Amino acid sequence: MIEFHLDPQSGVATYLQIVRQVKDALRLGTLDVGDQLPTVREVVADLAVNPNTVAKAYRDLEREGLVVARQGRGTFIASTLAPASLQHHAELRQELERWLASAWRAGLDEESIRALVSTTLRESLARRVA
Amino acid sequence: MAWVTWRQHGSQAFGALGLLAALVVAAVLTHLPIASAFDHDSLSACLPPAARTGCDIIVPHFEGQFGGLVTATRVLAVLPLLAGLFVGAPLIARELEFGTYRFAWTQGVSRRGWLLSKTLLLAGGTVLAAGAASLVVMWWRSPFDMLEGRIGPSGFDVEGIVVPAYALFALALGVLAGLLFRRTVAAMTATLVAFGATRFLVSGFLRPHFMAPLHRVIAASATSGMPGDWVLSNTLVDGGGRQVSAASEELAVLHAQQAGIDPHTYILTLGWKRIISYQPAGRFWTFQFLEAGLFVGLAVALVLVSLWLVRRTPA
Amino acid sequence: MSPPPLVAHGLGKRFRREWALRELTLTIPTGAVVGLAGPNAAGKSTLLSLAAGMLAPSEGSIAVLGHDPRGTPEVLAEIGYVAQGAPLYRSFRVSDTIEYARRTNSRWDGEIAVELLTHIDSRTKVGALSAGERARLALALALGKRPRLVLLDEPFASLDPLAGRELLQLLMDGVAELGATVIVASHVVSDIQRVCDHIVLLSSGCVRLEGNVEQLLESHRLLTGPRRPLGSIRGVREVVRERHSGRQLTLLAITDGPIVDPSWTVDPVSLEELLLAYMAPERLPTPQATERVPLRWHG
Repeated sequence: MIEFHLDPQSGVATYLQIVRQVKDALRLGTLDVGDQLPTVREVVADLAVNPNTVAKAYRDLEREGLVVARQGRGTFIASTLAPASLQHHAELRQELERWLASAWRAGLDEESIRALVSTTLRESLARRVA
Repeated sequence: MAWVTWRQHGSQAFGALGLLAALVVAAVLTHLPIASAFDHDSLSACLPPAARTGCDIIVPHFEGQFGGLVTATRVLAVLPLLAGLFVGAPLIARELEFGTYRFAWTQGVSRRGWLLSKTLLLAGGTVLAAGAASLVVMWWRSPFDMLEGRIGPSGFDVEGIVVPAYALFALALGVLAGLLFRRTVAAMTATLVAFGATRFLVSGFLRPHFMAPLHRVIAASATSGMPGDWVLSNTLVDGGGRQVSAASEELAVLHAQQAGIDPHTYILTLGWKRIISYQPAGRFWTFQFLEAGLFVGLAVALVLVSLWLVRRTPA
Repeated sequence: MSPPPLVAHGLGKRFRREWALRELTLTIPTGAVVGLAGPNAAGKSTLLSLAAGMLAPSEGSIAVLGHDPRGTPEVLAEIGYVAQGAPLYRSFRVSDTIEYARRTNSRWDGEIAVELLTHIDSRTKVGALSAGERARLALALALGKRPRLVLLDEPFASLDPLAGRELLQLLMDGVAELGATVIVASHVVSDIQRVCDHIVLLSSGCVRLEGNVEQLLESHRLLTGPRRPLGSIRGVREVVRERHSGRQLTLLAITDGPIVDPSWTVDPVSLEELLLAYMAPERLPTPQATERVPLRWHG
């Protein structure tokens, strides 16, 4: 059974953190099809978080088809995250690694890289919206 | 609410029982010499209206022997006040003082229901305790009641149904005081003052006039000699019905002595008489019902005011 | 549709001549965990006391689940209220206190109470409990009634972090089971920001900020950039607070679109930061979108 942890300082919403942790566990293989997720009450009693938050995370996961809620029995993993999906983006990932190597060579440090990525991403989003 | 009331006031009930037990023990212990003196001197033959010779010596002797004890029992008039001070005053004041009203008044019972249930249950207990105390005192005082009557203040205040009535009044007074003053000590003080003032006013100014007093005219030199009745006033009046001042009386006696005449005879010739205003012993129970009714009525009114006020507290 | 757990309309409360609350209008959504934040003497306790029927409004109205909380005792059965300091009868044992609640509440669930009181000997006198245990007992009494609205006034005050975390766990567990709406008043935001999905900020008797936490955090951003006169900024609808130090200018702003001006670094805002900004008595006027704003020099 997976145990969740919460990072309140991360700036990431609680429900997103839960969703992410389930997905990470699926990728790593610590969760498999048929495994039961902790009940809302268990998570709440353990982490001291809002039950609505946990419910929302589980609903999101259900919408993505990753879990299924069985009435009266709990929430269970329905499908894994196919490693294939990661392979899909293998090319993109390689391109990114090459770009990062260039950035290191250009002398950018981590913060600068992050800032550059953030700004460029934002501008790109703005152009897509406009 | 019965369980709640018992849990919160159970120790008060034990206190009252303890007090009653002490009262009974004291009564029994002090009764023994009284009873033996009564029999020894055959005082039963001196009970009014019988008056055999020698009674006019034996009776005062008996009364003198135990007079101190009888006066001491007048202190028992304070007992009903205890219901107000230790049960009524802390009832609401304590909750307000310690903030526990924020717990008690947010459960599933309305404030009025809470107050009414508690007050009724405590009133019941108070009546029982006060009634028992009254019975003990009546038993203890019976020789004196027979000789001196009980309609006078020393008997009336501590016997009969007025005792539970006073206690109910004190209880209701305490509850309202707690609501008004919100602090236990202040509520107790207010209860003490209000109870004392009311009792003083009623017994001093109302009770003598519950029914029109009777009058009796006797010889100026006679003693009133009305055991059992409650003498309200004993006035010397002249032939025209006007009150004779003490100074004038002294002057007359002096005059008689100077003239060598017996003062009593002289006063008789002056046409002076004594008018006794009194309440007869037979009115004891009537007066008891009237006074008890008054105090119970006051108690009910105070409780109604408290029930109205409790919804507004705190503001 | 069942009525909202709490609706206030122009609510005002005066003590002698001071207004503790004034013109307060508020609707709490069902099932929310509401943080009632604000500095001391903001009116938080007064609001909760009014909701619990302890006080009567001086003006306006307040309704709990559609009813006047000072009405019938049936409304009281739906409200679980723990006053500041968790007042209880100190000479009572724990078991007596539970019995008291059991007998005065028609709808009582002993199991909820038992769950909350593990590791506490029921024969202990309330006066001998630690602050954390007393807080748990008070919470057990409030939740045992199976209320639909839970009101907690500064429950974490005088609790150490461990006891506070434990109380929060128990509270959330209780809320999960009952599906109740909770309003927790606290002047320490960090105690409650973990669990609140709705926030109400009070200061000096008025609502300064109110809304769903996620939406508020989503619509506010912290903009940092070089100090300059402010005109309108594309993407900023309103500046809530402006701060400057040296050559840097920091704005806390309500955004209505992405910020594309590259001279601004845009960061999310923490709840605490947000509340502090709205607590300030003055807030800046909105820069107009069309006209040029007169130059503001921060000298």
